[in-house]
Amino acid sequence: MTPRGGELILTRSDALQRLNTVFRDLFEDDGIEVHDKMTAEDVDGWDSVTHITLVLTTEREFGVKFSAAEVGALKNVGEMIDLILARSKK
Amino acid sequence: MALDKDRVATIKKHIAAGRHREAFAALNESITPWCAFPEQARAARLFASIATTDLGLRPIRIALLASSTVDQLVDALKFWLAAEGFEAKFWIAPYATIAPSILNDQSALYEFDPQIVWLFETFRDIRIDIAPGDIAGARKVIEAAVSVRQSLWSRLQQNLKCTIIQNNADVPAGDGMGNFAAQALWSQRSILRQYNLDLAHAAPSGVVIFDFDHLSSLNGKRTWFDPRYWYHSKSAVEFSEIGQLAFQAARVIGALKGTAKKCLVLDLDNTLWGGVIGDEGIEGIELGAGAAGEAFVDFQRWLKALQRRGIILAVCSKNDADNAKKPFQKHPDMQLNLDDIAVFSANWNNKAENIREISKTLNLGLESLVFVDDNPAERDLVRKLVPEVAVPELPEDPAEYRMAIEKHLYFETTGFSDEDRNRTHLYQGNASRAGLQAQFKSEAEYLKSLGMIGHIGGLDSFHLPRMTQLVNKSNQFNLTTKRYSEGDLKNFDEKHDMRVLHFSLLDRFGANGLISVVVAVIRPDKTLFIDLWVMSCRVLARTMEEFICNKLIDTAKEAGCTALVGEYIPSAKNGIVARLYDRLGFELVDEENRRTTWRLSIEAVPTYLTTFVAQQEADDAPGRGADSHTV
Repeated sequence: MTPRGGELILTRSDALQRLNTVFRDLFEDDGIEVHDKMTAEDVDGWDSVTHITLVLTTEREFGVKFSAAEVGALKNVGEMIDLILARSKK
Repeated sequence: MALDKDRVATIKKHIAAGRHREAFAALNESITPWCAFPEQARAARLFASIATTDLGLRPIRIALLASSTVDQLVDALKFWLAAEGFEAKFWIAPYATIAPSILNDQSALYEFDPQIVWLFETFRDIRIDIAPGDIAGARKVIEAAVSVRQSLWSRLQQNLKCTIIQNNADVPAGDGMGNFAAQALWSQRSILRQYNLDLAHAAPSGVVIFDFDHLSSLNGKRTWFDPRYWYHSKSAVEFSEIGQLAFQAARVIGALKGTAKKCLVLDLDNTLWGGVIGDEGIEGIELGAGAAGEAFVDFQRWLKALQRRGIILAVCSKNDADNAKKPFQKHPDMQLNLDDIAVFSANWNNKAENIREISKTLNLGLESLVFVDDNPAERDLVRKLVPEVAVPELPEDPAEYRMAIEKHLYFETTGFSDEDRNRTHLYQGNASRAGLQAQFKSEAEYLKSLGMIGHIGGLDSFHLPRMTQLVNKSNQFNLTTKRYSEGDLKNFDEKHDMRVLHFSLLDRFGANGLISVVVAVIRPDKTLFIDLWVMSCRVLARTMEEFICNKLIDTAKEAGCTALVGEYIPSAKNGIVARLYDRLGFELVDEENRRTTWRLSIEAVPTYLTTFVAQQEADDAPGRGADSHTV
C-alpha cells in the first residue's frame, strides 16, 4: 500500500496497478490489463458515458481532481497515469 | 453497510447462481442514497445484471425530458425505483428538446405513452436578460417563464393520461451580486425564487413540482453546482448528488403510486423523552428543560407535524400501560397527547408481536409501518422478525433523531386532502369499534348497533383527489389492481358507457370518509362489467360490500343491463377478495391462471343482499349535490 500524498511518492507501476483495479471493477472484467497505449477502443463499454464514471472513480481512488478540459482530453491510460502522477506530487 | 469488494462478490455469486431475489436484497442492503457516485454507478451496473422477473416489481413508463445530460441519473434511477418497487422503462427525449418533443403531436413521446413525464429543467432554462434595476422586466421574465410551462403542461395533459413532474429552478450559489441579490427584485436570485413560488401556484392537479432547489441546498450549493461536468458534458448536477437526487425522485414517484409509508410506530422511554418513566417518574424524565429535554420537545413537535398532515402515530413500548400514559396526560412539556396516537400498545410482550397487532388493529399492511426505537436490540429484533417494517438506525443523541428519520423520505406525499387532516380520528374510531365488537353476542347485533349509513356518489373535482389516492393505494381489497390517474378517471366519467362511483360510510363513531371506488363499463351484451373495485380495509366485514353490490345492481338496472360481471385478478396482496364475488352470490363463469370471472343475473325484481348499512336520504346533505346524489 502506498499512502496518498505524504512522505511516500506514488510510483508509476503502483499507479498502474491501482488503475487496473479501477478498470476491472468498472468494466466488470477481471481479464483487463491496462497499459499506457490502451484507449476506449480497446475496452468493451468504455464510451462517453462510462468515461465520466471512470474519471470520477479514478479521482477518488487517487485523491486528485482533474479540470473540465483535462477530463475531455484524456485519450489513453498513459495520459491518465501522467496526470495522476503530476497531481499527486503536490 | 457499503458496497465493498466482499459485498460485490456476494452479489455476483448470487447472480451467477440464478438467485436474483437474494442478489437484489443484498444489493439493497449494501447501498444508501448517500453513497458516493462510483458506488451508485456500481449498484446500477449490478442491478442491470439482475433478472427482474422474480422481484415482484410493478412496471412503470417514465418519459424524461431534459435540458442537460441525464445518462448517469437514469441508471441510478432505475435502481432506486426498483428499491421502491418499480421496474421502470424510460424514454429519454433527445438532448434539450423539451418543448419540441411536447409540441409535436407526432413525437415519439406520445407513442411511448408514459405514465409519468418528468420535465427535468434547471435554472439555466429560465433566460434572464434584463437591465439592472428593471423590476417590471423581472416581473415579465417570471410571468413568461411560468406561462411557457403552463402551456407545455396543458398540451401534455391533452395528449396523455400522465402525471407530470416539473423541476423548479435550482437557484445558483452566486450571481455576482453578493448579499444584495436577496433584496434586488431584479437579480437572478430574486427572480428564480419568485419563479419557484409562482410555478408552484400555477401547477394544476396532475402536476407535481419536484423541488430541485431544495435538493441543491441539502449538501450546500457549492457542492451541487460544481461546474466541471457542465462544461465537459452538460451534466447539470455534481455527480456525488446523483444518489440523493435519484432516491428523492423514486420516493416522489412512489408517493404517486401509493408506496409511501403511512404509520410511525414509536417507542417511549429515551425515544419521546429521556429516561425511563417507570423508574424516574413524571418529574424525573428529561423533557422540556435542559439540552436533551429541549431536543425531545422538538422531536415531538416534528412528530406532531407529521400527524397533522395525515401520518398515523402509534406507540409500542415495553411499559406498564398506566405509567406509559402518564406523561401524555400530566407532563406540561409533552407535545403529543393521547388523541394524537391511533393505537397505544404498552405491555411486556415482544415488540414484533405488538407491531403485528398494531398493523392488524389499523388494517394497515406491515410494509406501511416505520418503527422508531432508541434501543438497538429492539430494532434488530423487529428487523429480523418483521422484515416488512422499515426500521431506521437512530443515533444516540436525541438532537439528531429527526434528521436520522427524515433523510429516508418515508412519508413523501403529493397532495393533502380532508382524509389526511382527519386520519388519526378515522383510525381511532376503528380501534373503538373493535372494542365495542367484543361486547356483543352476535355479529349482526354489533353491526346493527353501529348505525351505519352508506352513501353513493359520482365523480366531481371535490372527491377526485381522494378517489385517485384510493385507487392507487389500495392493495388488499382490490379486485383487479388496475391503477388509474386523475386524468383516467375523469376521462372514464365522461364516457356515456362508463360509471365512476365512490362510496362513503358514516357510523356512530363518526365518518369513515370516502372508502370505496368502482369503475364499471356498460357492455354491448347488456352486462355491467366491474372494471375496478377498491375498498379501504378499515371498513371490511361491515356489510359495506353488500351495500355497494346492491347499488351496482341498481346502476345496472338503470342502464338497462341484465347482469353484473366481475373479475378477480390475483396479485401478491389481494388474497382477501379472491372469493368475494362468490360470497356476494355471483356464479363462476370462467377461470384461467387463477384469474376468475363471475356473473350475477339481475331479475326484474332484483334480489338484494342483506346489509346493515342504510342508504343515506337524498336530502341529508343539502347543498352538496354531487356528493349526495343517488345513482
